[in-house]
Amino acid sequence: MNNPFKKAVDSLNISYEMAPNPQEFSVFTGEGKTNLDLKTLYKDVPCQAACPAKTNVPAYIEAIAKGDPDKAYLINQEDNVFPGVLGRICSRPCEDACRHKWTGIHGPVHICHLKRSSADYKKNPPKPLPKWFDQSGRRVAVVGGGPAGLTAARELARYGHAVTIFERGSILGGMLVLGIPIFRLPRDVVENEVEAILNSGIEVKYHSPVDSEVMQGLIDDFDAVIVTAGAVAPANLKLSGLPDDGHGIPGLEFMRQYNFGEIGEMPGQHVIIVGGGFTAVDCARSCARAAKRLVGADGTVTIMYRRTEAQMSADNDEIVQMNGEGIEVETLVSPVSAIMEAGRLKSVRFLRNALGDITHDGGKPKIHPIKDSEFDMPCDTLVVAIGQVRTLNILPADITITEDHQTNHEKVFIAGDFRYGSFDVITAVEDGKQGAKAVDTFLSGQERMKTHVGVELIDTNGETGRVRDHDLQKPTDMRTLPLLERDGIAEVELGYDEDGTHTAATRCYYCHYKFEIDQDKCIHCDWCIEVAPRDCIKRVSRLFHDEDGAVTTDIKANLAAETTYIWIDSNECIRCGKCLRVCPTDAISMRKMSLNNCALSELKDSIVVAKN
Amino acid sequence: MQWKLEAKRRSEDEIVKEQGLVIDYDEIARKGAMTREEKLISKWFGIYGSRQPGNHMARIVIPGGQLTSSQARMISKISEDYCQGILSVTTRQSIQLHWLKLPALPDMMRKLNEEYLTTFHGCGDVNRNVAACPLAETCNYRRVNVLPYAKEVAKFLADARDLDNLPRKFKITFSGCGAGCAQPFINCIGVVAVVRKAANGEDETGFRIIIGGGMGWKAFVGQELFSFIPKEKITRVCRAVAILFRDHGDRFDRTKARLKFVVHNYGIDKCREIVIDALENEGIGTDDLETNAFEECGTPFPNRPLLEQDPVGTDGKVTVRAMIPKGELTHQQFKRLAELSEIFGNKRIYTTNRQNIEIHGVLPQKVQEVKTEIENLGFATDGHFGIRDVVPCVGTTYCPKAVSRTHDLYDLVMDVVKQKKYDAIWDKVIINITGCPNSCSPYRISDLGFRGMRIREGLGSVEAYEVLIGGTEIDFGKKLGEFKKEDCPQIVEKLLDTYVEVRQGDETLAECIKRVGFES
Repeated sequence: MNNPFKKAVDSLNISYEMAPNPQEFSVFTGEGKTNLDLKTLYKDVPCQAACPAKTNVPAYIEAIAKGDPDKAYLINQEDNVFPGVLGRICSRPCEDACRHKWTGIHGPVHICHLKRSSADYKKNPPKPLPKWFDQSGRRVAVVGGGPAGLTAARELARYGHAVTIFERGSILGGMLVLGIPIFRLPRDVVENEVEAILNSGIEVKYHSPVDSEVMQGLIDDFDAVIVTAGAVAPANLKLSGLPDDGHGIPGLEFMRQYNFGEIGEMPGQHVIIVGGGFTAVDCARSCARAAKRLVGADGTVTIMYRRTEAQMSADNDEIVQMNGEGIEVETLVSPVSAIMEAGRLKSVRFLRNALGDITHDGGKPKIHPIKDSEFDMPCDTLVVAIGQVRTLNILPADITITEDHQTNHEKVFIAGDFRYGSFDVITAVEDGKQGAKAVDTFLSGQERMKTHVGVELIDTNGETGRVRDHDLQKPTDMRTLPLLERDGIAEVELGYDEDGTHTAATRCYYCHYKFEIDQDKCIHCDWCIEVAPRDCIKRVSRLFHDEDGAVTTDIKANLAAETTYIWIDSNECIRCGKCLRVCPTDAISMRKMSLNNCALSELKDSIVVAKN
Repeated sequence: MQWKLEAKRRSEDEIVKEQGLVIDYDEIARKGAMTREEKLISKWFGIYGSRQPGNHMARIVIPGGQLTSSQARMISKISEDYCQGILSVTTRQSIQLHWLKLPALPDMMRKLNEEYLTTFHGCGDVNRNVAACPLAETCNYRRVNVLPYAKEVAKFLADARDLDNLPRKFKITFSGCGAGCAQPFINCIGVVAVVRKAANGEDETGFRIIIGGGMGWKAFVGQELFSFIPKEKITRVCRAVAILFRDHGDRFDRTKARLKFVVHNYGIDKCREIVIDALENEGIGTDDLETNAFEECGTPFPNRPLLEQDPVGTDGKVTVRAMIPKGELTHQQFKRLAELSEIFGNKRIYTTNRQNIEIHGVLPQKVQEVKTEIENLGFATDGHFGIRDVVPCVGTTYCPKAVSRTHDLYDLVMDVVKQKKYDAIWDKVIINITGCPNSCSPYRISDLGFRGMRIREGLGSVEAYEVLIGGTEIDFGKKLGEFKKEDCPQIVEKLLDTYVEVRQGDETLAECIKRVGFES
C-alpha cells in the first residue's frame, strides 16, 4: 500500500471489538443445509412447518395472487399430491399456524380454500410430474390404492421404479371415495388427480385383495412391497341386545353404501350416530347430513357423543353447519344397550356422563358415568362411527412392524394409516412420500434425494406487491349451496369466485420472503423503523441464540446507546418492503426461501452471490 | 363491495398529496395539533417537525441568499419572539427557525409576509429555494449577474400551480462562472453562466444547463443538458426540466424519486428529448438550445474564487464576511449584522452555502471598522471557504433524521484545525460534517467528509462517522473507514499532517489524494 494517507491512519492502529453480525441463514444465497436454515424456515413460514406434507403455502398463494393458478396447482401437486381433493377436505393444520391468526385481523388466511381455487382456475388438466431418475429396472408392489398408496406409487415412479398397485376394490382413492361424502368431495375431482398419478406409468390391479398368503407371493415376485392398506376395520362397540354380534352399522360402511347409492329411503326413521372421535365425527356428520335426506321430514338424526362439543374433533364451522341442517347433537352420553321389538331395533339406552379431570397434557378429560341416569332414545338405525382400526393380519405371521416405515423383513415397508392408525389425508400423503423414500433408499442403497433450504436473492427493490391495506381486507366467505338445494349429492361448497380468490390470496403475508439487515452495513439511522407499518423493526441490545445459531429471544433497547442491533422481527413483518427501499446503505436484503427436494447429484456447494 | 387494491400503486404520501389539502394554521394553532396529513402538507408551507416533540422548524425562502436589512430585522424579531432567539443559516442559503410552537406559526407567517418573505415552498415536493453564488452581483469572474435570474426562476416556478406536486424536492442553483461556487453538479438543475464570441465578434452570454446531480444516500454527478441557452429562456427551460421530473419521477418509492434517478435511468439524451417536447408543447422555440461544445472566452477564473479574502467587487467595493460557527447565531447577532449592512454596506445581507453571512458594498476605508464590529459579535472575518470554515448540518440538535451530534464533532475538529501548524494549508482543505446520509452538508464533495452513523459494540452502540477523503464536486470522496467519534480528531490530525508532508505545489488535499492514488 503506497497511499500515505491510508498508511498514516493505519499507523494509529484503531480497531473495534464489535458484537457479531447474526444472520438467520448459513448462506447469503444458495443452498442452506444446516439446522439453522431449517429452523429459520420453520419459524418464518409457520403454515409450511405445520403442514405434514410441507406444502410451500406462501409460494402458491403468491402465484394465485399474481394470477397464475397453474403454477399454484403445480406447487401443490409437487408437495401434497392432491390439490383439488385437499383443497376441499384437508384438516388444515396450516390455518391454525397462520400468522394472520396470531394478529387477530379477521382470522387466518383461508389457505385450504385457496388451494381449491388453484385447482378450480387452472387452465391445464393435471399432468404427471417429471421423473427424478432414469428407470432402475426394479419393481415395487403397493398394497392399497388410498391416499398413502397413490402417493407412494407416484413417488416411486419418480424414483424410476416400476410400480404396481394392488387394490381390493374397483376404484382407487381409498378413504377419499369411501369415507368422505360426495357432496363434500365430488368423485370426478378424485378421479382427475388419480389419473395424473397413474399416467406416470403405474400399473393397477383392481379387485386384488391381499391377505397374508398373497402378500408372501408379492414379496417373492417384487423387489419391494409397501403396504398402505389403511385402517378400515370398524372399531368395536359391543352393545347388548343387538343381534349380529351386537354391532350397529359401522360409519365407514354407511358412507360407502351412501356414496355408491346402495342405501334406500328411510322415511320417518330415527337415526342415531354414536361417535365424536377425530375422523369419526367428520364421518358421522356426513352420514347424518346424508341420512337427513333419506329419513324425510319426520325422521330425526342425532349425534350422541360421550364428551362435550368442546372435545369434538369437528371444527366449529362444521358444528354450526350441522346445527343449521337440523341435526341434533347430544353430548355427555354413552350407549349401554339396545332394545329390540319384533326383531327390529326400537331404541337405544344411554347413560349420562360427567366430565372428569384431564390426566395428561393435550389429552381429553376423563368421563364418569352418572348413576341411574339411563334414558332411552328411539332408534331405527344405529350408526357407530367411533373410528377404525388396522387389519394387521394381512402381513404374513413372521413379519412384524419395527420402526418408521420398516418391518423386520427388509423388502416389506408400511406407510399411511396402516402404519399409525386412522388419521387425516394430508398426513397419509406425507407418510406415503416418506415410505417411498425408505423403499428407494433400500433399493438403491443410498438416500438419493436431499432436502435443503434454497435461499434466493430477490432484486425487486423490496417489492412483493404487499401493502399494509392488504392485511385489513375482510376475508372472502366460501360460497355454499342454498340449504334447500342440498340434495346430498351436489357439492355444497362452491369455491371462491375469481375476485374472492384474489382478495383471499392478497391477505397472505408471503412469509417465504425474508427481510434481513446486514449489521455490518447498518448505521442505526432508524429510517426503517420510521416507515415500518407496525412494530416489525426494533432496536435490540441483545439477541440470544440456540445451539444452531437461531435467535430464540431478544432484549429490547430504549436508547440509541443501548442499541446493538436494528432487528427485523419476521413474526411481525408484513413483507411490504418499505424498510428496504428507505435504507440508505443497502443494508437490508430481501430473499426468498423454499424447502427444496433435490437429487443428491444436483446439490451444489453453497454459493455466495450477493454478499456485500 | 370491498375496496379493491390497485395493482400499480403510489406511495401513501402521494395519495395525501393528490387530495390538495389546504392548511389553515389559525385552526391548527387553535386545536394545538396536526394530523398526519397536515404534517405532510405543512412541508409545502416550510414547516417541519423537530426532534423535540411539540417544536417545529420553519425554513424561510431566500432566493439567491439575498435579504434586505429590514427583512433581516424581521427575521431577527421573529426569532426573538418565537424561537428562543436562535436562527440557523443553511447550506442552501435559507434561514431556519427552530423551537416554533404551533400557536406561533400563523403569527410568524404573517410577520414574514409583511416583509415580503415566505416559508411557502421552503420544504415539500416542489422547487426549493433557488441558490446562487453569494458574490453574484460583484464577482470579478462573473459572466452574468445571475441573481436576478435566480430570483426570476424562483418566482416563476413558485407561481406555477401545476408544479406544486412534484415526486420529490427539486433544487436549482445558479453559478456566475465555470468555477461553480454554487455547486451546479450536485443540484437537480445547475445553471452556469457562460460567455463566448458570437459570429459578429461580440461577447455573447448565456447559460449552460446541468441536470440530475444530487447528494443524499445515492449521489450522482450532474450531466450537461444544454451547453448554451439564451439567458431569457432560463425560466422556461427550468420549468421544462421540472415538468420532466413531474411526469417521469418515481411516485412509488420516495427514496428513488429525485430527478437524479430519472436522469440516471433514462439517460441524458432521452431527458433532453422530453425537455424539448415540453418546451415545444408550450410554444417555446428550441432551435437555440445548443448541445455542442464551444470555447469559452472571458476572464479566466481560479479554482476556488471564494477563497479570496475581503474580495473587492467590480464596483470597487468590498465584501466583508462573518464566519458563523455551525451556521447558528442569535437574533441579536443577526440584527447587528443587518444594522452593519445599513451603516456600511448596501443595506442587504447575504447568506452563503457555507452557512455564513456576508455584507456587500463596504467602502475599502471602512472595511477594518466593519470587521472589528463583526469580530466583536464573536465571528471570524477571514478564513472563509478554508479549513476552519467547517460546515456541520444541525445533526441531532434538531433534526429527527440525524444519527449523530455533528456539532460535537465540529468542536473536536475545530480544535485540531485551529492549530498554527495548519496555517499554511488553510485554503487547501474543506471539511464537511453531516449527520445522516441525506448529506445536508455535502460530505462527499469536500476534501474531508464525515457522515454520521453508529458502530455497534459488544453491547450497545456508539456514535461514529464514515470518513471520506478527496472529494470534489465532480469526483466524490472515497471511503477511508468508519471511526468512533472520539477517534476522529486524531484521524483528522494524521491526515492533515500527512498532507502537509506530501503535498506538492499548490494542490489541494483532494488533488494530492488524486495524485498519489487512493487505491494505491
